[in-house]
Amino acid sequence: MLEMFHYAFLQHAFLAGGLIALIAPVIGVYVVLRRQSLMAETLSHVSLAGVAVGALIGVYPMVTAMIAALIGAIIVDTLRRSFKDYSELSIAILMSGGLATAVVLMNLNQSGTTRSFTSYLFGSIVAVSRTDLYIMGGVVLLTALFFWFFWRPMYVLTFDEETAFVSGLPTKWLSTGFSLLAGLVVAVAMPIVGVLLVSSLMVLPASIALRLTRGFGAAVFVAVVVGLLAVFMGLTSSFYFDAPPGGTIVLALIAMLVVVLLVKKLFGKR
Amino acid sequence: MQMKLAEMRDVVFGYGPTPVVEGLNLEVRTSEFIGLTGPNGAAKTTTLKLLLGLLSPQRGTVERAKRNEKGGPLVVGYLPQQIAAFNTGFPSTVWELVRSGLFQRTGWIGLRQKRDDAKKVEHVLHQVNMWEHRKKKIGELSGGQKQRVCLARALVTDPDLLVLDEPTTGMDANSRTLFYDLLDHQVRHHGRTVLMVTHDLEETLPKLTRLLVIDKWIRFSGTPEDFRERMDMHRDTSLTVPLYCCYDDNPQNGQGQGVKRETVPPSQGGNE
Repeated sequence: MLEMFHYAFLQHAFLAGGLIALIAPVIGVYVVLRRQSLMAETLSHVSLAGVAVGALIGVYPMVTAMIAALIGAIIVDTLRRSFKDYSELSIAILMSGGLATAVVLMNLNQSGTTRSFTSYLFGSIVAVSRTDLYIMGGVVLLTALFFWFFWRPMYVLTFDEETAFVSGLPTKWLSTGFSLLAGLVVAVAMPIVGVLLVSSLMVLPASIALRLTRGFGAAVFVAVVVGLLAVFMGLTSSFYFDAPPGGTIVLALIAMLVVVLLVKKLFGKR
Repeated sequence: MQMKLAEMRDVVFGYGPTPVVEGLNLEVRTSEFIGLTGPNGAAKTTTLKLLLGLLSPQRGTVERAKRNEKGGPLVVGYLPQQIAAFNTGFPSTVWELVRSGLFQRTGWIGLRQKRDDAKKVEHVLHQVNMWEHRKKKIGELSGGQKQRVCLARALVTDPDLLVLDEPTTGMDANSRTLFYDLLDHQVRHHGRTVLMVTHDLEETLPKLTRLLVIDKWIRFSGTPEDFRERMDMHRDTSLTVPLYCCYDDNPQNGQGQGVKRETVPPSQGGNE
């Protein structure tokens, strides 16, 4: 089994997957608890439009994907505040708008991108370049810094936004900052997991962790462990079965969720 | 002289074209235990949200003190109406949630943890009778228990002003009595100010220093004794008399003594 690590592309894939699995589930726990599970899905579709723009104008696609995701994050956050009762409507519009833009732009780009469209949709273990790894490392560092400084405010904000505001926290800035971070994580996770499945790497580890833990810190920790396990299992099966890693990672996560649910049902008290 | 903590002047607010708050005037001073009551849809929650800055008035002004009487930053504790129903799956133990309140005083960022923090959390959990539940996940608690935990979270911050929106919803009679006693203790012995939306006048009235009846604007503001006098005028000693009998613009009202009365519509003058 270890011979697969002789391939440089696979070393890149595992390193990238490990980096993503460190941060995506953390974002996922907050996203799920803030009832924003669809946000990651939306941002991934918007970042695909960014990839298409990058391919069209000849800029490194992950960079344009990140820019698009940041813009998308600001729009999602603004719409969430403006249309509290219909926030899912704005998310649906943005999601389909992002995908439509991506499809049209990619069709316009006859020269083709350095990677196939399918690899952006479902991920690819050969798609991770050294530049991607540096960018991912930067985003991991940024995420670590964000939660180092704002762990407590984010906890209170996630529990109840009004209480957080009355406590004197700058809830608007925190919320926007978090959405921007989520956008960046979605954009950098795209090469490995793919646009269509990136939100699963956030939401599924969080749902498993929420089933297993009592405390907040424990939930985040378990989500990261679950994410790492699923990414390594998914990448290994992707290599052996020659399947897109996005699919294998998500199937690994779903298998883990089913096992947890069954075990909880059979042996758990809750 | 009691210090003014918050003041609303001629506030107008509406969620749509029709205002739900009209010409509202209200002052909150230190060491007051104020009950805010009124019929459904009378804008009680809206008034609290305007006072706390969660909503912005369309007209008029809302001012909150920046500092408390001792010169420190004014700390406000808030228990929203739906807090018990919110986020039932939130992965947090009772201990974690109450401890999170401490950071409002000690700072949000960094590793600083005072040695007596744990003692403080323990103290407030004992106060609200939730110590034995400290390791439970908050989703496992009943509505009333959640309210008590949220009160503990507010108390751990040493708040100068506690704003509570129907905090005893879902509590049994015994827990309610303990809850009101605890609030009373906070006002009398710790000099805190409490502003609480309540429909539970029978139990709260003896504890209050002031009662406000609101319906778009403040219809009545006075001591519990003033309120009882107003009720007595309707030849009924129970507190189940409809609240509108104490509206100052109710023609059936007699001349209440000691009650600050306004018979002019709020658009033409103050009302508290």
